[in-house]
Amino acid sequence: MTQSPSTPRGPRSAVFTPLDGATRSLQVARRLTDAILLGVISPGERLPTEAELAQRFGVALVTAREALSEIRRAGLVETRRGRDGGSFVLASSDTPTQVLTARLRGISRIELADVGTYEATLCAGAAERAAELASGEEATRLADWLADADFTTARTAARNQGGFLLELAVISQSPRLVREQIRFQAEFGQLLWLGLGEQAIRHEVYGCNETIVAAISAGDIDLARSTVRRLLKTLTTWLLKTKERLERAA
Amino acid sequence: MTTTQETAERIGALFNEHFSMLDALRTQVEGGMERGADLDALVLGFVQPRLMIEGATVAGAGYIGGPGSSPTPGVGGAKAMHFAWWLGPLAENPLSGTTTEVTRLDLAAREYADYLRDFSSLEWYSVPESTGARHITGPYVDHLCTCDYMLTLTTPVGARGAGIVGLDILVRKIEPQILRLLRAIDGPAALATAGGRIIASTADDWDLGSSLKQFSGCPVPGTTLVVATGENNHSI
Repeated sequence: MTQSPSTPRGPRSAVFTPLDGATRSLQVARRLTDAILLGVISPGERLPTEAELAQRFGVALVTAREALSEIRRAGLVETRRGRDGGSFVLASSDTPTQVLTARLRGISRIELADVGTYEATLCAGAAERAAELASGEEATRLADWLADADFTTARTAARNQGGFLLELAVISQSPRLVREQIRFQAEFGQLLWLGLGEQAIRHEVYGCNETIVAAISAGDIDLARSTVRRLLKTLTTWLLKTKERLERAA
Repeated sequence: MTTTQETAERIGALFNEHFSMLDALRTQVEGGMERGADLDALVLGFVQPRLMIEGATVAGAGYIGGPGSSPTPGVGGAKAMHFAWWLGPLAENPLSGTTTEVTRLDLAAREYADYLRDFSSLEWYSVPESTGARHITGPYVDHLCTCDYMLTLTTPVGARGAGIVGLDILVRKIEPQILRLLRAIDGPAALATAGGRIIASTADDWDLGSSLKQFSGCPVPGTTLVVATGENNHSI
């Protein structure tokens, strides 16, 4: 397999898709935070300018500015002045824990659990349809893709996990499930994939993916659905457990 | 009543109209390649008026060069493919919102699709490339372009490895034309792929994405599609 066709990219377009609703600056800040935590935006990298952020998120300039000062306060980026200035992602070694704590404190257990429930329902439905409808060729293609997919780092695992769940929706043949999966991942994907920073979680999730592919190949609807639920449960439990641990320690 | 054979011929003619458009584009691109012309401008000039037709069945079209055709190398120096592909006006698309003009496909804004490591391994590219003949991919949900249910028609262009020209047909837009032809047959009938996946069906219990099991049908001339009828297919 050759590599992807252009410049190095992560699931970044998801990071920058337009937003709607209230507290937009907070939403922008959260999305950037999740992307930095997951390594989609790397330490030392320059963030887009206020004007670029405003345009890409579809928000006012002042909203983008507020979001940037929010993540600066959280100690995630530093702003340098001058010709080569801008906001740069900090590489400090203790940043991830600090930021993760702040990020998980900013979202209630109920919201975290609901994000997991929603994605589990969406993906279980897609997996069910995929197991019912997949041709032998589609199942083989998915198995081949998974066999070659890189799950060795948090960043590649996040990209490929998002891709895998999107592919389930594609095999379900439903344009609506595909669109909803893309929307969901844009909003919450980076948060939900945070557990993939741990090798044990990556290993377990990859094992679930393999079982799902086997279930789709065999047309085993129940196994496909229950394994997707287990996979999303693993990721959601990691978030809840980590939030509890960090907040108790604080 | 019209026979299944006649219906298959009429559906064949419908697809041939689309393939003729593709052949015309191929001729233009091949001419452009020989002259060393600006292929992007040439392709845009050809596809723009066709994508802007009110109620067009074609949602996107263009030329995609083989690996190495893009001046910008991919990750790790991989041979990137050049996409000269345009999309027609879109209504409330999750990726690009509502557009009223043609827009160029921007893969950089489709980074969630990065998990697709190699576009040249995808069916719409690999099959015409290896057979040297025109091909219909789908029906499938195409999340690279419009996030809709699609049939993609592709045909190789130039020397081997030079690339393909293609067009995307929205299944929901061509469905009325196919159904009108299928309804000339007495009883339930379906247009399906060689593998049995149903593109359009007049059956009451038709299910999105479903396939015919053990079927025989009348081949649609010039394609690998078949028209299957209720007489010999219980599952229609």
